[in-house]
Amino acid sequence: MKLAGNDMLVQSLIDEGVEYLFGYPGGAALHIYDAIFNQKELQHILVRHEQGATHAADGYARATGKPGVVLVTSGPGATNAITGIATAFMDSIPMVILSGQVASHLIGTDAFQETDMIGISRPIVKHSFSIEHASDIPKVVKEAFYIATSGRPGPVVIDIPKDTTAPDKLFDYNPPKSVKIRSYNPPVEPDSKQIERAVTEILKAKKPVIYAGGGAINSNAAEELFELNEFLNFPVTNTLMGLGIYPATNKRFMGMLGMHGTYQSNMAMHNADLIIAIGARFDDRITNTPDLFAPNAKIIHFDVDQSSVSKIIEANIAVFGQVKNSLNELNKQLKEKIHLINKNSIKPWLDQIEEWTALHGLNHKMHEDNSDQNMIMPQSVVQHVYQITKGNAYVTSDVGQHQMFAAQYYHFNEPRKWINSGGLGTMGFGLPAAMGVKLAFPNEEVVCITGEGSIQMCIQELSTCTQYNLPIKIININNEALGMVKQWQDMSYGGRHSESTYQSSLPNFIDLVKSYGHVGIKIEKNSNLKDSLKEAFSIKDKLVFVDVYVDPGEHVYPMLVAPNGSLKDMWISKDKKV
Amino acid sequence: MMQRKILVILENKPGALARVVGLFHQRGYNIESLHVDPVKDVENYKDIEKSLDLQLQENEVSRLLIATTVSDNLLRQILRQINKLIDVLMAKEEIQ
Repeated sequence: MKLAGNDMLVQSLIDEGVEYLFGYPGGAALHIYDAIFNQKELQHILVRHEQGATHAADGYARATGKPGVVLVTSGPGATNAITGIATAFMDSIPMVILSGQVASHLIGTDAFQETDMIGISRPIVKHSFSIEHASDIPKVVKEAFYIATSGRPGPVVIDIPKDTTAPDKLFDYNPPKSVKIRSYNPPVEPDSKQIERAVTEILKAKKPVIYAGGGAINSNAAEELFELNEFLNFPVTNTLMGLGIYPATNKRFMGMLGMHGTYQSNMAMHNADLIIAIGARFDDRITNTPDLFAPNAKIIHFDVDQSSVSKIIEANIAVFGQVKNSLNELNKQLKEKIHLINKNSIKPWLDQIEEWTALHGLNHKMHEDNSDQNMIMPQSVVQHVYQITKGNAYVTSDVGQHQMFAAQYYHFNEPRKWINSGGLGTMGFGLPAAMGVKLAFPNEEVVCITGEGSIQMCIQELSTCTQYNLPIKIININNEALGMVKQWQDMSYGGRHSESTYQSSLPNFIDLVKSYGHVGIKIEKNSNLKDSLKEAFSIKDKLVFVDVYVDPGEHVYPMLVAPNGSLKDMWISKDKKV
Repeated sequence: MMQRKILVILENKPGALARVVGLFHQRGYNIESLHVDPVKDVENYKDIEKSLDLQLQENEVSRLLIATTVSDNLLRQILRQINKLIDVLMAKEEIQ
């Protein structure tokens, strides 16, 4: 088969199984767009800003486990994609970004819409390619998808000079059947000797904790983790990125840990004698001050990325490999020693954790208060959404207080249902990410829990939702301020709310969404909250934007005391520090 | 802390060197000296050929020598970060 560069590119994507391409056209990408016009196998989704394209592809990738694919033009198209690429990089999300580039002979001349995309994106990609010859396109696409999805996943950029996609030069289309990159060999199977050492420590532990993160989700290790804990019955905590990898309604689940983690999770980590870290990287939201972190704990660290192990907290036992495979091997070895597991030996520890939960655990019944004497609490909104959706929705979020409330009060029993920007903390992520999820799962409930600050960072995508009829639910937890910034200003800056309020400049969100053809519902009274939310979720064929006015003074707790605090040092309310 | 020499063997491709050098800056490490040239004496790299099960051709890979002053822990971290780069075949401390 003879094809031109632009057709080879699109055919290569089809051969990789790409269903959706999120993008925005422009000069340097026009040959590629012409090739898209001439085929029916993959659907292009026209966003309203390139950042939206990257987040939509990212949401699609997080929900499906398949790589998200983005197509942008050169110059501003490429630079607008940067925030979304960095978001995917920080959370290890597989993504392939195709960026148009000026023609080869113009590179380096400051041509119109020229920017050094390879240079600009270098620190925030797993790898990048520049197409030198059109005939390289099938091989480069194959390698890019392989790199993006294997090992520790991440975004890969392919920069494509316009001349390499010219429609008038034909080439034999012979895509490689398989791919091998001699300098890239990420570990897959664990060293069984290391697993043996891990088993020995596990059998000795009196105060163990399983600490699982986003890496376990990336490796699709939910079943293996569940099986492991059927043997062990250890308490489990998840990072913000790991929520859903272990069922949140399981009695051994303690909730999230870290900066806004539950009291019992943070206390258990601090007092543990063994921490089993699974696809988690001990970042600063988790450890608080590293020197004070879990002083008596031995650490077993399972990870696919060697550079994540002993980076911040020294591991006593490191197990490199795909977490799924490593846990499989661990389960196999534990099964052989099942007679040595003494479940009674951790009984006092489990009792201790129950005491901690009873003492300062989260209040999951705030939604039962429907009195109009009280303002709507943001936690109640999340709790109602959880009840109404029966815990089965895909939930995307933005960044700030609403994100933490969603993580604390929506209980995820399955992986890939909680979609948020954990590492980079990108406001504007939630709405476009929800579009990607809804395209992947049109029959599932997709909810974007956001705030009036974050939603305005990518609000233009409401138009994309109209074009492709994406009936997602947007729950705008409106406290008329940048809530998390304001919380920090309350706690550390004497209540000086520097630039964290809008001085009555917020739009009328209901009128705004109506102008896009969506449904808007405003909720201001506590007594209306439940019924109005139910009404919103009863509308199945339209995007519904729920604008809920909540108590603007509310803070997120627990909150770790920083700087110089450990995991046991928390604010648990506005006036109580433990 | 002492000065170390790090030896990196990487693909002789456009942009490969920039990834290694960029990594030092991104992660906050300092480069005190840097020397790079294409590998002609491939017979001196039998150990790499053996450990990676490949055969090197003349000028196909580059040898990069970087001097930097770091602690043992940081050196291990730097080597792991460099080894993670897709175009890098090998990175290790060069002991004189």
